[in-house]
Amino acid sequence: MISIYQVAAKNLFRKKARSLLTVVGIALSAWVLVSLLGFNRGYENALSKDIDNMGFQVLVAAKGCPYEAATLMLKGGTGLRYMKQSVTEDILKHPEVEQVTPMLMQAVFDPNKGEDGSLTAYLGVDPATFPAMKGFLKFKQGAWFTDPEALQAVMGYEAAELEQREVGDSLLVPEMEVEFKVVGVLARSGTQDDGTIFVPIRTLQNIFNKKGQLTGIGVKVNRKADIAALEQKLYDLPDVQVVSLAQVKQTIMSLVSTAKVMVLSIALIAILIAMVGVVNTILMSVLERYREIGILKSMGAMPWDVFRMIWVETVILCLLGGALGVGLGLVLSKVTDLLIRRLLPYTPTGSLIRIDGGLALLTLAAVLAVGLASGLYPAWRAARVRPLESIRAEGD
Amino acid sequence: MFGRRMIGPVLLAGVLGAGAGYLYGAVGCDLNDPDRDVKRLFPGSTGYETVYVSISQKGGADLLRAIEARLGDSFKGLFETAEVPYTMYRILRGQELIGYIHGVNQKGRYGGIQVFLALDLQGTIRAFYIQKLTSRQARLLRSPEFGRQFEGLSLTDFYAYSPVTGRAPVSSRVSAIANPAAEAEDDFRSTLRAVKKNLILVDEFLLGNAHLPGPKARNGGEAGTRSEP
Repeated sequence: MISIYQVAAKNLFRKKARSLLTVVGIALSAWVLVSLLGFNRGYENALSKDIDNMGFQVLVAAKGCPYEAATLMLKGGTGLRYMKQSVTEDILKHPEVEQVTPMLMQAVFDPNKGEDGSLTAYLGVDPATFPAMKGFLKFKQGAWFTDPEALQAVMGYEAAELEQREVGDSLLVPEMEVEFKVVGVLARSGTQDDGTIFVPIRTLQNIFNKKGQLTGIGVKVNRKADIAALEQKLYDLPDVQVVSLAQVKQTIMSLVSTAKVMVLSIALIAILIAMVGVVNTILMSVLERYREIGILKSMGAMPWDVFRMIWVETVILCLLGGALGVGLGLVLSKVTDLLIRRLLPYTPTGSLIRIDGGLALLTLAAVLAVGLASGLYPAWRAARVRPLESIRAEGD
Repeated sequence: MFGRRMIGPVLLAGVLGAGAGYLYGAVGCDLNDPDRDVKRLFPGSTGYETVYVSISQKGGADLLRAIEARLGDSFKGLFETAEVPYTMYRILRGQELIGYIHGVNQKGRYGGIQVFLALDLQGTIRAFYIQKLTSRQARLLRSPEFGRQFEGLSLTDFYAYSPVTGRAPVSSRVSAIANPAAEAEDDFRSTLRAVKKNLILVDEFLLGNAHLPGPKARNGGEAGTRSEP
């Protein structure tokens, strides 16, 4: 005896073009849905990874420093604030802290840079701790300096390009009569490290007579530690202020969440379009088969049997379309990734579209649920067909 | 969302934590303040247009070889490549084109030397300007007296100058350019190489190879027809 599933499948085959177009419509919606959900997940992960890759989650600086530092950069002032190097030991006492790296920024005015002169800045870093924290930085040439008092420099790619420096070249600190030897040129990282000239911190302290003084301390926090609690403790240190990159990250992630709502709205529209398509197709099919359904019922089919038959047709369409769409999403995820990278002004490193088995099943389930909901009305209409009326109506 | 509490931390993260990137926002050889610099280098001008070109975009490896041949030296190192974008300024008086300004970033002893030339429509130097130079003798090489020695010269004068040997025929006008600081011989020679390269690029990209030696242009057409900006 023929099953209800076979009847439903045969019904769909009777109008191949229409069924196919409906499947394609559902597939496109499923593709958009799975890609958008994958983008939501991938973009957030990639961005989060990029922020974590900054090396440290908390930056401790001398109180009042941000505004002075900004003034220094923007107006050529010399008002940098300093803190004692011993602060690093105080910070290290906290169990949440995995590692710290001291930093000293100094800038010199170069009268021969531009018409009115300009600043050249140097970031003194500790060769024992800074490179380990910035493990994501790759070298185009050379490597990090290892001697904390060497007259050596590592240059970010853009800084090296501007100064046309390569490994082995000399770098003169204007007005200071000091020469560094370039020992490394970093590959482009897409971060502000690209424009930085790194030198050993003790060297910089000696040159600028800032022994035992720092402008910043990078703090790497244990993965499971409560960063907010640590920040509160660090605020108790005298004359320092705490800049949490976790706070910055949280702000960025809040912005991303806003964007996510927009993306999900688009996904919802895609689903609604698919839903209307399914309702239209199945309803048309029911109306066309008005007489046929009447005959079925006159032969003993119960309303529930007719309802199920129509509903199964909907499920078949949605399963086929959903599977095709999810498959497209999986296969073309790299292409979508490339397209998004071309469209957006900034994209984080790493995969922007993350579609795994769980997401694929979730999308398929969502499409199926939408299909089932869409099939309710046409199936209900079909179940309510009165046999005699339907036969008479079509006969007329 | 970005309240007052965040301003300081974000500034600090940008300025201190991430380094001094602010100072190196743009890479290439642009005028630092084109509105002011154009007026200074080209008195009487009322405006300018910028044209962006690169060797890779205009002719790739073949063009690079041709330019190296004209220069008499090969492009060297990490940063002197066919991909370098050149910013060329077309100088206007009203709607009328009256000249060009172009700069190149040349490797020097202690840093990049940014050498700009203001040229008339025939490619003759009207003004010479070193925008940036890191050297103990920078003041002398950036002096107006040194720059004035380049005025009136063109690519024709520089063809005989060899960047490799740093020499030009005694009779040439380039050999008459005096180095104001004997200790900065490296940077002096780098400056002359930059000027020659600068003139070749302008000839190639803006003047239609008007100074290309020989009766025929390399692509078989008449000299001056090989490329247009």
